[in-house]
Parts: sequence; structure tokens; C-alpha cells
Amino acid sequence: MQGGAIVRHVVTFGRVLREVGIEVGPGRVEDAVRGLGAVDLTRQDDVYFTLRQTLVSRHDELELFDRAFVAWFLRGPVAPLVRQKQTRQFAERVARDTLETDSDGDEADPSSTPHELGASGHELLREKDFAEMTPDEFERVRRLMAAIARTRPRRQSRRRTPDTRGDRLDLRRLCRKSLRSGGEPIEQPWKSRKTVPRKLVVLCDISGSMDAYARALLFYLHAIVGSGSGVEAFAFGTRLTRLTADLATRDPEAALARANEIAVDWGSGTRIGGSLAEFNTIYGRRALSRGAVVVIVSDGWERDDPDLVAREMAKLARAAYAIVWVNPLKGNPEYQPLAGGMRAALPFVDRFLPGHNLRSLEELGAVLAGIERRHAA
Amino acid sequence: MYAETVSFRTIDELEGALRGADYLPDRGLATALFLGLALEKPVLLEGEAGVGKTEAAKALATALDARLIRLQCYEGLDVSHAVYEWNYPRQLLHIRAAQEGSVSEEELFGPEFLIRRPLLEAIDSDGPVVLLIDEIDRADEEFEAFLLEVLSDFQITIPELGTIRARRRPAVILTSNRTRELHDALKRRALFHWIGHPSIEREVEIVMLRVPGIPERLAKEAAAFVRGLRALDLAKPPGVAETIDWAQALAALGREEIDAEVVEQTLGSVLKYREDIETVRDETLVGLIEEARASATR
Repeated sequence: MQGGAIVRHVVTFGRVLREVGIEVGPGRVEDAVRGLGAVDLTRQDDVYFTLRQTLVSRHDELELFDRAFVAWFLRGPVAPLVRQKQTRQFAERVARDTLETDSDGDEADPSSTPHELGASGHELLREKDFAEMTPDEFERVRRLMAAIARTRPRRQSRRRTPDTRGDRLDLRRLCRKSLRSGGEPIEQPWKSRKTVPRKLVVLCDISGSMDAYARALLFYLHAIVGSGSGVEAFAFGTRLTRLTADLATRDPEAALARANEIAVDWGSGTRIGGSLAEFNTIYGRRALSRGAVVVIVSDGWERDDPDLVAREMAKLARAAYAIVWVNPLKGNPEYQPLAGGMRAALPFVDRFLPGHNLRSLEELGAVLAGIERRHAA
Repeated sequence: MYAETVSFRTIDELEGALRGADYLPDRGLATALFLGLALEKPVLLEGEAGVGKTEAAKALATALDARLIRLQCYEGLDVSHAVYEWNYPRQLLHIRAAQEGSVSEEELFGPEFLIRRPLLEAIDSDGPVVLLIDEIDRADEEFEAFLLEVLSDFQITIPELGTIRARRRPAVILTSNRTRELHDALKRRALFHWIGHPSIEREVEIVMLRVPGIPERLAKEAAAFVRGLRALDLAKPPGVAETIDWAQALAALGREEIDAEVVEQTLGSVLKYREDIETVRDETLVGLIEEARASATR
């Protein structure tokens, strides 16, 4: 292959990758071309690794890359390109859902007409159950959520900054100042630790029974992920899937639709214990939950074994700084945590909150901002 | 004085040199390290714990006949531990010894009072250097941003001394256990390679290389047994490092083969959690041993 041909090949392949959802910038294409210039082009594995190492930077993109590589370079049977197909599906579904709820809302609720609500309307909206909102109300609530999401639990960083009321001497400045007094440390500059946001891990149940709430909470999550670093979001139903990257880059509706495809097996119940086990095994092992505030959003309906829920909650509680359970059903004053999964989980939960309306999300925000550890280390 | 630089023209050459350093890379890893050198880019290695990410950097240093400088990252790692710090006690003593205030600021903040930490050491080195930035995912994101700057310019500014530029670029290896996603900007700057667990044949080969004199049959059984463990649902599945430790223990006990008794005695060097050890007690253990012994005779 000649130089020009290689460049064309790589550029086109970069476009193929972009279509399946892998971000490929021009810098990477350049690296790939330079890389290919350095290796033996007759060895297929060297070409494969060179392209993979220069064009892909995330472990979860490797599978997509492999499919694209087989299809493009080896002219293998074209495997369905997963993400692209899904995107189209959710686009269709979101459009359909929006249309349906729109017409519903118009008949059922006169407040859905797009005019400004007064202060009392605003108050009503705060109290209204997410499950009963019209799309228009929901849209307004979204904007309010962003404000709530900015409150985050904090921890002390090891980094220190000058502070007259600090707890440590700032030796660098002390030395400099002592120059003037012949080595006598007359002035004593102090410094103290800054606080930085504590890691926050959110596990959101998106199974059928949680539908309306999960949607609201995902918008809330979207706002939290946008609030800065150290936030990890996961969705679960029958399986667990990581949402962080989707929420950072995509529209929350699309993220929810994708999570639904991956994590929810319609018609079978929620596997809370199994999903927690998956989280503990894959992410807990990598210390994602260590020292984090973990928020679990679920109604606690477990299909399988409540004992498994208890076991996995115990593991999670050992690693986490604190666990907050948000259960929309708790919004009903008559609610009792009788569901097996919920009962099994409660002993390990530091805070148990509702999450059925905007006011309760505000409460959640306040708890997160001031959370203290209840359970022993 | 510049030391003679070792360079490799092909992946095969580098692979051979790594083998010479007692490290058996798979083709993908050899390609990543080769491209890192050829394109002068940092290489980001990700993978489960114990698959040999850190070892790869050490072997590369040996292969290049370069000095290995390691920066272990942790939460709260800051410039004073990663780049440089002033030696305050010495500075204060110096001011006192000079009496009469005749010490100038330039003198006080001169090179002799500077404590050089790994990043400065790597940038300001005359000989070839492999800079290993270990477990970058543990450092704070502010530090990651700082690192990105260092890795793009290969220079460090010390306000009192000025800017220090690398006279030769160190080969940079970053490792991450993926406790969090790294910044896109940092990833964009690096070549990315995912290291998985090695194939059974390669693991046997690694054990034979790292535990000289071990009977081949024992190496095969140990590798097969550990492979069986990885298939179980464990809190921390053993990596290659554990296989090597364990094989060393078995060889030291003078074993030719594994059996239930010796496995029970030494299981602690393979599994590091009490729950995991309990998971594989009794029938599971016996089953795994039988499978491992059977596969070794094949």
C-alpha cells in the first residue's frame, strides 16, 4: 500500500468508527497513520493493534472497534453496528412517547398549556408527584433540578492553601519571610486543607414500576453529572449498566432509552441483589465505591432473593462512606417498607428518603450537602 | 554526557529485548510500547490488577537500558510530592548560620536547597529515562490536568529557578485500574492498550521464566488452577503476579505436583480475601485441583 492509500484508508476507517459512536479526532487519525508507517503492514495483528491503540481510548469501545475492524478491513460479515441501530430506535421511541403523552396531557390537565404559572402554581409543581406530571410541567421541573444538583457532599482534600486560620505552618512562605529577620520565624504564615466534592455514586432502578420516577431522577442525575467531576451514574433493572459517559455527553432521554435496552428485560422483575452484586464485583473491586456517598434509587421490589440484597448491601456499606436510599413510594404517607428487598436493605441504609417530587429532591440535595456517616467503618 | 540510546527498529526486536528482561509481553503490548517509542507518545495501560502493567514499565526500562523513575499516585498527591519541594529545615539553618542577614533570596532558593521529586527528576535527567506514572486514576483530577501540561511540553516551571526543559523526552508509561474514567484530553495524548489475563500457554511460559527450576508439570498445574479460580465469582481474582508468587511457594516446598494439602497451606498467596478463601474451600477446591492436574497431563 502506498502512503496516500494508507491515509485514505485510515481516514475512511475513522469515519466508520465515528458512525458506530467512537470519538475519533483528527489528531488520532494522524497518530494512526504515523503508527502504521512504523510497523510491518503485512502482519495483520500489528496493523490491528496499531489502529486500536491509536484510535480507541476506552475499554468499553473495544468491542465496537473489533466489529468495525472485522467488517472494514477483513471484509467479514457485517455485524450489526449496535449503537447506531439503537440511536435510531430511541429516537423513534422518544418521538412516539412524546406524542402520546402530549395528547394525554392536554385532555387531562389544563395546567399543561404553555403559559406562566404564578407563585402558587410553582409551589404546586414542587409538590406534584413526578408520575402525574405533564410533559410541559416536567420541562419546567427540569430547570429547577439543575439548581438542586449543585449541592454536593464534600470531603477534605490533601492539598493546602494559605489561610490565616489554617492548621499547618506554610514552611515555604515562612522561610522567605525569615530572610528579613535573620532566620527568626517572626511571622508565621499558616495554611489549611481545602474541601473538594466527595465521590458520588448513583444507582438508579429503571424497571417498569419505577418508570415515571426514573425519568425524573435521570434528569436530576444529568444535572449532577454536569455539576462536575467525581460523579458516577448507573442504571439497573435485570442488569446493570454504567451511564456516566452517556449522561455527560447525551441528552438524558437518549441515555435512558439506551439504558432501557441494555438493562431492562421487559416482563421479568427487578434484580436488585443481582445488580448490586454486579456493581460490587465490577466497580467495587476497582474501588469506585470506596469513600463515596452511594445513592440508590429504587422501590425495593426484588424478584429474586432478599438475602442476596442483604449480602450485597453489606459489602457496599463496607466500602462506601454513606448509603442513601431514595424510594418514591415513601412519598405516600401510608407506605411501609414491606417489600422483601427493601426490608433486607434497610439495616445498611444511612438515610431513607422519598424522591417522588421536586420538594423531595430538594430534601435529597440538602441531605447530600450535609451528609454525615452514620454506620460504623 | 548523554548515554548511548538503545532503539528498536521493529516490534520483534523490542519483544526480544523485553524477553531478555524476563518479561513476556503479548503482541499487543509489545506493539503499544513500540509505538510509544516510535511516536514519542505516552502509553496508557489499563487492565485488571495483577496483569503486569507496572512490570511492563520496569521491563521496558531494562530493555532500553534506561533509568526507571516511578511516580505512585494517590488521592491528594500534589506538586510538592510529585515535582519538587524546597528543603525548609536546611534553608532555615542556612539563614541562621550566615548570621547578620547576609543571605540573598537567590541563594536561599538555589538548586542545593531543592528536593527533586519524580517528575522533575525525569524531566531533568541526562540519561535515558522510563517514567512510570502508576495508578493515575487514584490522583485527583487537578493533578491530572497538571500532568497533562507536563506531558505535552515536557517542561516544569519553578518560580524561583525558572523553566526546566527536558533535554531528551522520557518514555512515559501511565497505568490505571479504571476506578474512574480519565480525562479525555489526557487519553487523547496517549496510546491506549488494554491488558487482559494472558493465555494459559503464555502464563505457563511466564511462570517457568520467573521461577527458575520449577518443574514444568507444576507450572502447568499452577497456571491451570489459577485460571480456574479466575472463572469463579471472587472479590479479587488472582493476577499473573499471584500465580508467580504461588508457584514460587510451591517450588520452595519442593513440590512436583499440587494436591489438596499443599493448596490449603498456600492458598493465602493466591487469594487475598478471607471471603474468597472461604468460597473455594472443600468441593470447589477439590474440583479445581482435579481439573488442573488433568489439563497439565494433556
